[in-house]
Amino acid sequence: MGSRHRYAGLLGIAIGRLAGRFRRGEGKQLAVSVLGVAIAIMVMVTVGGVALGLASQSAIQGDDVDYWIVPEDRTASSIAVSVDGPQLGGTHEVTARLNEHPQVEYATPVLLRVVQLQAPASDTSEFVLVAGVIPDGGDREVLGVSTAALTPGDPYYTNGTYDGEWTGEVVASEPAAELLGLEVGDPLATPRQDANRSLHVENVSTGSYNTGAGPLPIVVVHQSELQAITGATDGDPADQILVSTTTPAVKPELEALYPQSSVITKSGFAEQSVSTSSLPVAVALTAVLTAVVVGTLFVATMMGLELHADRQRLAVLSAIGYRTRSQAFLVVAETFILTVCGTLVGIALGIGGIAATNALATRSLGVQSVAVFDPILVGAAGGVAVLIAAAASIYPVWLTRRTDVLEVLG
Amino acid sequence: MAQAAQSSSVQDSVVTCRDVTRRYTRGSASRFSRQTHPIVTALEEVSVDIRPGEFVGIAGPSGSGKSTLLHLLAGLDTPTEGEVTLAGTTTTGLSEQRRARLRLEHVGIVFQHFYLLPSISARGNVALPLVEYGVGKSTRREKATELLGRVGLEDRTTHKPGELSGGEQQRVAIARALVTDPEVLIADEPTGELDTETGERIIEVLRASTDDRAVIVASHDERVLEQTDRILRLHDGQLVSDG
Repeated sequence: MGSRHRYAGLLGIAIGRLAGRFRRGEGKQLAVSVLGVAIAIMVMVTVGGVALGLASQSAIQGDDVDYWIVPEDRTASSIAVSVDGPQLGGTHEVTARLNEHPQVEYATPVLLRVVQLQAPASDTSEFVLVAGVIPDGGDREVLGVSTAALTPGDPYYTNGTYDGEWTGEVVASEPAAELLGLEVGDPLATPRQDANRSLHVENVSTGSYNTGAGPLPIVVVHQSELQAITGATDGDPADQILVSTTTPAVKPELEALYPQSSVITKSGFAEQSVSTSSLPVAVALTAVLTAVVVGTLFVATMMGLELHADRQRLAVLSAIGYRTRSQAFLVVAETFILTVCGTLVGIALGIGGIAATNALATRSLGVQSVAVFDPILVGAAGGVAVLIAAAASIYPVWLTRRTDVLEVLG
Repeated sequence: MAQAAQSSSVQDSVVTCRDVTRRYTRGSASRFSRQTHPIVTALEEVSVDIRPGEFVGIAGPSGSGKSTLLHLLAGLDTPTEGEVTLAGTTTTGLSEQRRARLRLEHVGIVFQHFYLLPSISARGNVALPLVEYGVGKSTRREKATELLGRVGLEDRTTHKPGELSGGEQQRVAIARALVTDPEVLIADEPTGELDTETGERIIEVLRASTDDRAVIVASHDERVLEQTDRILRLHDGQLVSDG
């Protein structure tokens, strides 16, 4: 004899009763409880998926970049695509030094500018995001766009002056090519363009960089050519320097390069982008709060009605010697079981919700992967389920304590 | 000498009522209302001693206080005045928690409407008190099966209450009341929902349950009362005869 057997037995009674109610077709209120939790969890998983999508899309570079050197005043969210703010200077020289470092695989400055590009072939003119980089000829990606087609190095920039060979090479992302109607070999122009600085499409990259609002139209060029086009040649500026290394031992050296800069690791970037980018966090918190409130109200109300209709059972148990504590355990167990069922259904619906959101976004906005599913959402749903069940148990337990045996059975 | 005899009788008794009065306030009292509610005396100065092995009937017309007395004897209620002692424990002043424990350990209750849980099997219903006792599953099954056999339902162990006749359901309820081997078995109108033949069988089962325990049956039915060893007759809340 012991508490373990008692609680196991009570759990069995709770499961048996719920199953019996459903079997006999008397589980309408219970089904509404399950449905209420399922809807709440579905909303949370779907909206949480959107929040995760927003957060994960803040990552700017390909997977082969290990460190970002950014000006100290920048936040993670502004690292992504911000074209205004503090910048790093003397970036060609610093990058050249980094590339000579034995433990640095590749380093490039990244200058980001929004530039109006004209495509004479399609007679189109649009503003696109232009990234200036120093490619190494390898298969690298910046903002999802491959730099492999660009001539390695930065030929226009020689010995601190902008009078080297002008390549005019542009790699366009698919969204940019689509927007401007570009094909490989097409010429491009900028307003007030110098006749010696013509541009042409060297390649169209299949990758793209998505934000919550959809894929950005991006083109990648040599850094010095972007500096020249935008008149940003003073101080050799860039928004950040990307460094791919073979060892974390170089981090202190990277930190020493600029007195007022931050060196962020890939994981640090992800953490920072989630914690400092307020929109995804706000969306996720709102989803959790809504799920807890809606789920709790549903379950508490329905379990209250259920218990009111089933007071006789509690009165009988009380009459045959069940303590209030045992009756409360029964009620809490039933509430938890219903909540768990609702959560499982809600997770399944939520996965469907994410797929539906993405399908809808693709169809109506031409955007891919607005929402993403991550196992963390299952964990969050489990946590929310516990909160719902705990909060929703209070009212039924209170009702249990108020059940008067003589009033019900007398 | 007479006092000594009474003292001995009390010591032997499994249930004792001493000058028990129970009053109720009619209507629900509200803390916001100044309206006074009439007080109803359901039972007045009733004294009874019931010994193990006795088969006692409680008789009386509706509103005579039969159910009130049963509730007090079962520890479901406490007296307004006087004292009820159940298996050596005075119920007055006990918390509901402690009275529940007292009922679990010493009292079995059979209701007119059976009150079985419809979702679980006959065996599960019989085993319910053992769950609260903290008895392991296999022992519960064993004991419940044995009790169902004792009331002639060995072939109905897995049936749900909805699949049983009224008489069978009442026998399951009796088995549930007996499963903890209580000193007192209390039945409130146990044959009220049954036909005469089935009712007689139920009374046989109850009589067979006396052994060393007191069986107390409240009933309107004189045929049921005729089977008892002793009848307590109530009228307007007062004990008018005991014998």
